Amino acid sequence: MNKVWIIFEREYLQRVKKKSFILSTLLTPMIFPFFIFITILLIDSDDQETRKIAVIDNTDLINDSISIGDNLLFKSNLDINYLQTSILDGEIYGALIIPKMDIYDPSSIDFYSKNVPSSDFVRDVERVFEERIRNRKINELQLDKSSLDKLRTNISMDTYSVEESVVSDSGELGISKSSSGLAFGLGYFNGFLIYMFVFIYGSFILQSVLDEKTSKVVEVIVSSVKPIQLMMGKVLGVGAVAFTQISIWIVLVFSISTLTSLYFGIDTSSTTQIINSQEEIDQSKEMVAGFYEMFASIDIYKTVIVFLIYFTGGFFLYGAFFAAIGSAVDNLQDASQFTLPISLPIIASLMFMGVILENPESNASLFLSIFPFTSPILMMARLPFGVPDWQLFLSIMLLVLFVIFSLWFAGRIYRVGILTTGSKITYKLLWKWFVMKNY
Amino acid sequence: MLSVKNISKTYVDHKALDNISLNVRKSSIFGLLGPNGAGKTSLIRIINQIINQDEGEIYIEDKPITYDDVRKIGYMPEERGLYKKMKVGDFLLFMGKLKGLNRNQCIESSRSWFKNLEVSNWWNKNIEDLSKGMSQKVQFISTVLHDPDLIILDEPFSGFDPVNANLVKSNLLRLKDEGKTIIFSTHRMESVDELCDHLAMINNSKKILDGDTEKIKMKYKSDNYLVTHDKKLKKDSCFSIVKSEEISEGIFDSEVSLSNNKTYKQLFKSISDQSKVISFKEKIPSMNDIFIMKVKEGGSDE
Repeated sequence: MNKVWIIFEREYLQRVKKKSFILSTLLTPMIFPFFIFITILLIDSDDQETRKIAVIDNTDLINDSISIGDNLLFKSNLDINYLQTSILDGEIYGALIIPKMDIYDPSSIDFYSKNVPSSDFVRDVERVFEERIRNRKINELQLDKSSLDKLRTNISMDTYSVEESVVSDSGELGISKSSSGLAFGLGYFNGFLIYMFVFIYGSFILQSVLDEKTSKVVEVIVSSVKPIQLMMGKVLGVGAVAFTQISIWIVLVFSISTLTSLYFGIDTSSTTQIINSQEEIDQSKEMVAGFYEMFASIDIYKTVIVFLIYFTGGFFLYGAFFAAIGSAVDNLQDASQFTLPISLPIIASLMFMGVILENPESNASLFLSIFPFTSPILMMARLPFGVPDWQLFLSIMLLVLFVIFSLWFAGRIYRVGILTTGSKITYKLLWKWFVMKNY
Repeated sequence: MLSVKNISKTYVDHKALDNISLNVRKSSIFGLLGPNGAGKTSLIRIINQIINQDEGEIYIEDKPITYDDVRKIGYMPEERGLYKKMKVGDFLLFMGKLKGLNRNQCIESSRSWFKNLEVSNWWNKNIEDLSKGMSQKVQFISTVLHDPDLIILDEPFSGFDPVNANLVKSNLLRLKDEGKTIIFSTHRMESVDELCDHLAMINNSKKILDGDTEKIKMKYKSDNYLVTHDKKLKKDSCFSIVKSEEISEGIFDSEVSLSNNKTYKQLFKSISDQSKVISFKEKIPSMNDIFIMKVKEGGSDE
């Protein structure tokens, strides 16, 4: 065990001390806030210029001019052909033609511009004119505006999950507020994180084993360490690096997002959304409050513990296979034909994730979240929707069994592979290595 | 010190070792000879328990070898290498720790070996900056760092220039004088004559020769004599001339073959009757000659 530790220590320190590790660990979490920052800056800089839009208004919907966002719409009596040349000359951004229409049966309005306008623009303009027509109808029909506003209703459905385990003293079942949106997001996030780490760090293991083999250092090492110890030390070492990285990321992402949201939180309120009725603002505030409430309802400890179990399990399950492949081949090119079948269940997991998130209770979800080759990703995706304990237990037990099996399997190939160079590796040969008794 | 008894090993498609037995005495240098692919590396790997034999036993000090014994062996494989991205010192620490040394022992031992191999203090150098000869030295140091009683070197001189090869040779002889036992394999015979007390030759997975270096040489001598003399020789009943050459005016070097049933005294008399003898010595074959002869013999067996 002591030797596994020495191997582990070297593997871990070598990787953690690398510049590329430090840079990628520190910079990756910055990338997303950075992009958001850049986007916001770009949008802000876009907003400087006011775009002029001529309106030929045959229904008298606007009086003189109105501004929608950064667009100034002004009434024009000019001919459409003339306006079109103005658009090409760049004098005006676009021209809007409102035909003579019956407001109770409106026809479409036409917009001309050099470039295709953004969908936001189209939506905003539509909303403005819908509002205008609505107001005119209210006037013509002589309706009371305030009672009309009272007609407007907004219903949101809150979802609660009933839990058997939390029964209060009064005998009531425990109930917690749940959110399918949040569960979806959390499930996707967790599943994707495991997917990413299994892949990236799995290939690190492969690379590391292969490097030792091609630099011939491996035989020196296995004269003092059993091959299985070397493999275990390596898988553990790379795993610990992954663990370090993910911990740092979580801390960094959390602190950066807190900081940026504090900074931009003030900023977004000043960016005036033109059509944002008071109700909508209230609604979004409510949503945020609800979100926090629901977030608090998620069993953080359980999620973290289960995440760690599947993270470790998935990493070992696949890491062992990647180690075996690295030991067998002589170069990276040869490795690809063996990494593909190993990667298939991982890639398939990602594809099935949508199915599971849409329908977490189906038989397919049940099977995929228990089958060890897909469970690390898919059980994590299912977890936020609530998983019966027996399923979780069965899934973890199977995963542990398969991890032991895969380490044993990989170890048998590894011990032969690391000392064999120059032979053409086929599945048949790997099988012969696996069953070989005295090596 | 080490005995190998009836070792056999078969790989997936061929037999690598066929019933090999060896005895290595304490405080001696043992040469394991054979052409490429003869099975030397397999045998060495089995002694180091890197691979397992199909049949046979290995004994150290008359006891079956244990994993702890193996850990004490200083083994330098033929396929050797270093971690390119490490510093020399970190690598030596790593290897030393694997052999059970603590940090201070590693540093102390490395320092004295740096001195023995006439290198400056490389502790903080990056391994990828070392030349081939330099990394071979680091490799050698990592092998003997833990002061092993048994040292096994597979093709130790490949990668060394003659100067450094001699440096390593003199260190091996010094280690032998200190009581260490050294086994090395090679397919290059020059080093064998000067180093080995004892040797075994393997060809086509079988042992074809085993014994004291000097005795083997005596056994394979062909009753030829090298004579330096001042007049041209004529063949007579005592000897036949293998080759003769006038190396400068009035001085000849000849190799003569003693006829059956004649003694070297009769040969000497016969030659000195014809010419003045400047030097006269028996031709002892070099290990290289014996090696080539035995390998060719083995080849014709099949």
